[in-house]
Amino acid sequence: MAPIYLGEFEYAVLLAVLHLGEDAYAVPVRELIEQRTGRPVARGALYTGLDRLEAKGCLKSRMGDPSEERGGKARRYYSVTPAGLKAIRATHDALSSMTRGLESILEKS
Amino acid sequence: MSYATSPPRFAESLLTFVVRDADQRDAMIGDLREEFAKYARRVGGPKAARWHWRQSLSIAMRYSLMRLFRRKPPVRWTISMASMEADGSWYSGMTRDVLYAWRAIRHSAATSAVVVVTLATALAANSTTFSILDALVLRPYRFEGVDRLMVATIGAPDEAFFDRLNVSAADFREWQEQSRTVKAWALYRWWEPNLSGVDIPEQVPGFEVSPGYFSLLGVKPILGREFLSDESKPGQGHRVVLGHALWTRRFASDPNIVGKSVRFNSEPYEVVGVAPPGFSTPDGSEVWAPLAMTGEEWANRRAENLGTIGKLADGVTVDAARTELSGLVANQRRDHPDTNSKREARVLSFTRGMADPGAGPFIGIWQIAAMLLLLIACANIANLLMARGAERSSEYALRLALGAGRGRLFAQTLIEGLLLAGLGLALSMPLLAIGLGISKSGIPVSVRRFIPGWGFIRIDLELFAVTALLGTAAMIIFSLLPAFQAMRAQVSDTLRQSGRSLTPGRQRQVLRSALAATQIALALALIFASTLAISGANNSINGVLGFDKNGVLTAQLNLPERNYQDAETRRRFINDVIEAMRSIPAVSAIGAVNMIPAAFNNTSRRVYPEGRELKEAEARTAEYRTVTPDYLTVMKTPLLLGRGFNSADRVDTTPVAIVSTAFAHRYWGDDDPIGKRFKLATEGTWLTVIGVSGNIVHNWFVRQDQQVYRPVSQDAPYSVAFALRTIGDPKALAGDLRRAVAKVDAEQPIAALDTLEHLLDERVGGFAFIARALGVVGMIAFALALMGIYSLMAFLTAQRTQEIGVRMALGAGRWQVIRATTRRALAITLAGLLIGAALAVAIGQAMQSIMFGLITTSFVQLTVLVTVLGMAALLAAYFPARRAAGIDPMTALRES
Repeated sequence: MAPIYLGEFEYAVLLAVLHLGEDAYAVPVRELIEQRTGRPVARGALYTGLDRLEAKGCLKSRMGDPSEERGGKARRYYSVTPAGLKAIRATHDALSSMTRGLESILEKS
Repeated sequence: MSYATSPPRFAESLLTFVVRDADQRDAMIGDLREEFAKYARRVGGPKAARWHWRQSLSIAMRYSLMRLFRRKPPVRWTISMASMEADGSWYSGMTRDVLYAWRAIRHSAATSAVVVVTLATALAANSTTFSILDALVLRPYRFEGVDRLMVATIGAPDEAFFDRLNVSAADFREWQEQSRTVKAWALYRWWEPNLSGVDIPEQVPGFEVSPGYFSLLGVKPILGREFLSDESKPGQGHRVVLGHALWTRRFASDPNIVGKSVRFNSEPYEVVGVAPPGFSTPDGSEVWAPLAMTGEEWANRRAENLGTIGKLADGVTVDAARTELSGLVANQRRDHPDTNSKREARVLSFTRGMADPGAGPFIGIWQIAAMLLLLIACANIANLLMARGAERSSEYALRLALGAGRGRLFAQTLIEGLLLAGLGLALSMPLLAIGLGISKSGIPVSVRRFIPGWGFIRIDLELFAVTALLGTAAMIIFSLLPAFQAMRAQVSDTLRQSGRSLTPGRQRQVLRSALAATQIALALALIFASTLAISGANNSINGVLGFDKNGVLTAQLNLPERNYQDAETRRRFINDVIEAMRSIPAVSAIGAVNMIPAAFNNTSRRVYPEGRELKEAEARTAEYRTVTPDYLTVMKTPLLLGRGFNSADRVDTTPVAIVSTAFAHRYWGDDDPIGKRFKLATEGTWLTVIGVSGNIVHNWFVRQDQQVYRPVSQDAPYSVAFALRTIGDPKALAGDLRRAVAKVDAEQPIAALDTLEHLLDERVGGFAFIARALGVVGMIAFALALMGIYSLMAFLTAQRTQEIGVRMALGAGRWQVIRATTRRALAITLAGLLIGAALAVAIGQAMQSIMFGLITTSFVQLTVLVTVLGMAALLAAYFPARRAAGIDPMTALRES
């Protein structure tokens, strides 16, 4: 199977889910991306992105237990699937092969 | 603060509406609540609420957009709305609904089967008609660019008939020079040559056409080429393009035919091309020659014998071309008052202009009948579905009480309808194939060559789509009725009603009764229309024709101008054949005429009676016949006044004529017409009336009862039809007649050798066929209407079983019960018949105006039909009632 192509945002979402491990649900995922990239993330974009990644088979989700803090609603936890991992690696390799030889320029700035 | 912890409800409802997936929805709302709580603690409630609103709107918008543009899973707004109550995704709900619907259909197998068969029959009838209408009337020509072509011709103001071959050469030349809306023209002229130099000579239908004719129509010869512009010069025109049928039939599909010489009218013609199969424009043409007119012919403004086809300039509509040509023709009216004063431009699109003026209305009537049938079928189906809906109302009520959503029930009924429609559709396809097969074999072969688009009659994908659309639309509409009722139902009401009720809900009854009455009304109108059409067809074959068609053999032929230029040679040919046949004992009388009744062509002349100064444009026309002295005797057309022609009428004696009664009445009223004089051309000789004959019908499709007869001895025709009245079977003499003609001129073909009876049958064959088809449609409609009444009554009495039981227990008699139950049926039947009768009269009037003298709206016929239909309907109501009266009161009361 050819690796799934990831857009920049999708790549970031998958990486954030990896970072968060067991605690990956929409709220911390968004906060992490905003923290690390310094760019605002629209909630709508995040939810559709998560949906899309799940449809592509890169993510799978499970529902947590309802909690008082959330007005009786459950959290939806995400985790990266093997296919998702493969997609992350393929994207990472592609990007790093593009940056190879440009280290001197990239490091400085 | 308490309000700070609760996010805006409405924003959450918005998300609930937009996000279909229940888990995702919960997670999303939960996330927002979580963040909202944090935010509210920091900045306060109102600000946090605004924040929540912004986020919700943004999410809702993105989600909607994604759902709109994403292919998978598909967005099903309407259905997903209907199954919104379900907590699962759209898929699971849908599958469950389909399974449930299928179970419901199988549960009431009989009703379902009736619904499916009814729908299939009506759809097949409708689609059969539509495919014929489409092929013959709507789109008979399907070559590229056909919508950019138009037909222009000339008509008189009082003439309804669209005569395509009615343009004079001089008029046309001016159109060609001055028109800006038409960028290319093609011309054609009737040319029916004799194919000679072969074993059996044959008269071939053909046309002379201008160069570029074929390419204008988007046709490329399969062999050779079309005509070059040089070939339209006088003297260069001895070339032909052969039609595919002629090439196959008479030249054994010779692949090397191009360049060879064939003989038409005893002259050599070089074959330059062969037309592709199926091309026979105009009017069933089988051979084409270049139209080679002399300068003198081009200057002729009098002879109106050309047909024109124009290609519209880019961006120009037919309406614009009509406006422009009307202007040009108006100028010509002003400039040439003696010839053009009554000429008006007639411009139609190619498809409409080339259509047979008769076929359209007939097939149109048939189509309307089929649509009515579909309506009746729909009413029937609606009735059945509603009956079932009523039976299931308690089930619906129970499910509603148990918490099923109304939308869910609605969706289920809808799906059930769609499933039934699918089954009906599947069944209608084979029926449609059968219907088309029967229709195609029902039209006589001799008529077919005049029907462009004949080859297009077949089932195609578009037709399938139309059928599918009709079926589904009909089914959806009529499944919705019971579905709406199911939705509107008040749970408590229905549950109460289905317990110990006496009669079902009043509203529902009214709707169903109206449907049943509609069915009866439509069926009555349809049957009446079809009996009218059948009696009309019968009239056209067996009705008052003015002559006796039985026991007459006819032979039609055309004498070629080259060999028969001298009138004396034509006269001699006619006399020699007559003399040869007269010696045969089985021939009781023999005559000849230029046009036999029911022939495909006709000749007319303008009439100028003595004592009135008429301009050419003002003179009315009469059918022109030249006959031998015995012709009227052969046809048994009565001579009412004066004398017939005899051998004393010669070229050098007084020119004489016999006229029809209608002719005499028009020009001389009640005066004695004998001895009166008239001319047939402004500079013609005076003709003296010596006799008055009965009117005859040459062609039912043209309203004309004016005839002029002239003796062959004073005007010998090129076109000759021999008519023999025989003792015994006229066909037995065909060989003798053929031999007699061959003995007089071995090169002379007989175009058509047939009995007069068969000739008439073929001429009205299409009409008779459509009349029969209407009859079939009428019968199906009748059966459906009866079924409708029966099912309604059976249902109503079944609903009232308990009531009947109570009545009988209280001492009601058998007849009282029957009367009580059939009273409603009586009212429905009467209402239906009343409306139907009004409709029938209206349809009768419309048909009368299309089919001229053939049809008369007969009130006796209508009364008989009303009675028969009424009796049948009451009988259909009586049987359930009798069954009801026969039941044991105790059983009825015990029934729940």
